[in-house]
Amino acid sequence: MLEVKNLTKVYDDGTVALRNVSFTVEDGEFLIIIGLSGSGKSTLLRCINRLVEPTEGQILWDGEDITAADPAQLRQIRRRIGMIFQQFNLINRSKVIANVLTGRLGYNNQWQSLLQRFSPEDKAMAMAALKRLGIEDQAQKRADELSGGQQQRVGIARALVQQPKIILADEPVASLDPVLAHSILLHLEDLNQTEGITVVCSLHYLDLVQRYATRVIGLRLGEIVYHGVQSDIRAMTDEQFKGIYGEEAERVGGGLEGSLGGAA
Amino acid sequence: MSANIGIPPTGNGGRSGQQSEQRPSLASAPVAGIASLIVPGLGQLLARQLQRGLILMGSLLTFIALLAWRINLIATRQTGWSAKLSRALNREPFFIGLMIVGIAGLWLWNAWDAYRQTGPAKRGGAAIFVLIIVLFFTLGWQISEINLYKAVAEFADTLPLLTKVLWPWEAAVTRRTDAISARAQIAVPCTDTPPPAPVETPGQPYIVSDPTCGDLSDLDEDNEIEPGTDLSLVGRGFEPNTLAEIRWSDPIGNEFQIRQDGEYLAVMTDDEGNFAVDIIMPYRLVPPSARGTQEHEVEARQVSEIGPLIASDPLKLSIERMIETIFLGMMATAFGIVLAVPVSFLAAKNLMSGSWATLSIYYVTRTILNIVRSIEPLIWVIIAAQWVGLGPFAGVLALTVHTIAALGKLCSEAIEGINPGPIEAVQATGATRLQTIMYGVVPQMVPPFISFSIYRWDVNVRMSTVIGLVGGGGIGFILIQYIRLLNFRAPGIAVWFIAITVAILDYVSAEIRERYI
Repeated sequence: MLEVKNLTKVYDDGTVALRNVSFTVEDGEFLIIIGLSGSGKSTLLRCINRLVEPTEGQILWDGEDITAADPAQLRQIRRRIGMIFQQFNLINRSKVIANVLTGRLGYNNQWQSLLQRFSPEDKAMAMAALKRLGIEDQAQKRADELSGGQQQRVGIARALVQQPKIILADEPVASLDPVLAHSILLHLEDLNQTEGITVVCSLHYLDLVQRYATRVIGLRLGEIVYHGVQSDIRAMTDEQFKGIYGEEAERVGGGLEGSLGGAA
Repeated sequence: MSANIGIPPTGNGGRSGQQSEQRPSLASAPVAGIASLIVPGLGQLLARQLQRGLILMGSLLTFIALLAWRINLIATRQTGWSAKLSRALNREPFFIGLMIVGIAGLWLWNAWDAYRQTGPAKRGGAAIFVLIIVLFFTLGWQISEINLYKAVAEFADTLPLLTKVLWPWEAAVTRRTDAISARAQIAVPCTDTPPPAPVETPGQPYIVSDPTCGDLSDLDEDNEIEPGTDLSLVGRGFEPNTLAEIRWSDPIGNEFQIRQDGEYLAVMTDDEGNFAVDIIMPYRLVPPSARGTQEHEVEARQVSEIGPLIASDPLKLSIERMIETIFLGMMATAFGIVLAVPVSFLAAKNLMSGSWATLSIYYVTRTILNIVRSIEPLIWVIIAAQWVGLGPFAGVLALTVHTIAALGKLCSEAIEGINPGPIEAVQATGATRLQTIMYGVVPQMVPPFISFSIYRWDVNVRMSTVIGLVGGGGIGFILIQYIRLLNFRAPGIAVWFIAITVAILDYVSAEIRERYI
């Protein structure tokens, strides 16, 4: 169970990214965070594994305080938290398999890993992860030779070899077309349902939110303005939507309205 | 660009409507026109067309100053402006005439332009700038002494040289030579006791002259040649059916082949190795202080090539120096890379923007790199040659300095362009700081560093072919020496080696970069 308590983040330039944010994620949930760009979604996700240092507040994971962890403890925590990114964040010039193997770094002795050597078990695990995502035949290619959807699957494989209990996904499909977006989210859903990995994911498209989320948090200007479970999301109204996305926001995309109509 | 020089967008009703906020002209149209007639560009300034006015003012002043300079150069001996001008017009009527008409036209146009610029529509296009550009190119044509007629008509002069440079391989091989010769003494002028004929030894080459004394050719008051004494030479004991050069040797030891009617004098021996030839005693400048009898010598010499073909000196030297060149470039690149990598970290803004102290290190490093890079390697060779003397080491030093600057800049830009995303991703897996650098930073930096290094090696070897021109060792060193000796086959060989090496290197470096990066 992940508990976020009164989390506040103020950047050095005075920007308040998060204001007193509190919520809880049960194990096995598929939590989706929605909100405009700049509403604090990325900051919130990065506070959970402390890629961004929170200014105030606590994050408890199974009772352990992530915000109070020393560097060694933090690395222990991070290796059980997978993360995938909007821009995939692969080393473009390295091979796919090398990119996946970086997911094992937290488990390896740092002096041994300097030689770029990984154990046969690690390699087998990486190949298994690629196979699970259907791209094992791309293992020896350079990461930048792959298409966007394939690169994001490499990103998921990298998170998967960490044997995570939770995966943080920062706009994982914002750089992909709708068909690929579904395929990526289906992979996440599969991991969520068969492996019991908790997923915390930020998204833009409401139709995807309605399809995949078990719970939704809406952020606006760093504050939680919406909180709903699956049935609430299906019945979400324009007023609630505008409350999250601002008055000027409109529902965009035919697919969005169609799915809304179907749900209603 | 056009917007910057104050030309309003034309054919765009929407935008010209928005220009109503432009403030009105400070002067009326006639006033602006007259102002520009007196001081070019002033009217445009009054019409609030700042850039247009300054450009017109600046270019007209520049034209007048440059034209005055050129007229002064053409008519450097005349005094007074009218005399200089008429002389210059006489020597280069087309250029001077065109410039004067052009400047006058521009001046008038500028006044008319100022008149129009005061209007609310700010009409007036870019045509006036076309005239400015035409005048600049006219000046450029004359200042750089371009002469197309000469380029075409005298192209044939280069052909003998060009053919030697393009196909120098006749000079690449040679044979050892062997010479046999015989000499006879000639006294100048004749005295009572002329020198005796040489003693003949059987089996040895031998020549005898009749007479054995006489007068050299001389020049009279009108610089016409007064032929010297005729000598009849008879030679025996030479190689049969082989050319024998007839040479002269004066009392101070200067030797040369005699020329008669513009041709070098040589005679073919008969089947027995004998010859007979008549020669005129050649012209020698005799110092007025010379007293008494001078002892000259006439010589018949046969040079024959013997033995197998061997590599000539130019070929051997070119190969040796080419090897030196390649290694010189390699060493300079290696030193350059080793020193450029740490420097590139100091010159990367993203790494150095932490505090004002590191930021000032960044600015100092960047400035030094820019200065060093902007000084050509040839200049660095001259400095290095003062430092460690002529030779390849000076070349290595010079290229190293330049490589540090060039690579330092390229690599620091590669560091600045590093993508923070993968670093974040590696951190998120629970990697240590060291692992993050090894897996997030290094893989992003190594390929561009390798690419730049290979490119730089390529550049350095090409550079090292020319740094020898100013004493930096390598193949340029012999190239310039042969060129100065007007021996164009030998530099042709060097040029061929340079071309071959550069082509191979170009191919190899492109291939490696393709595979690696």
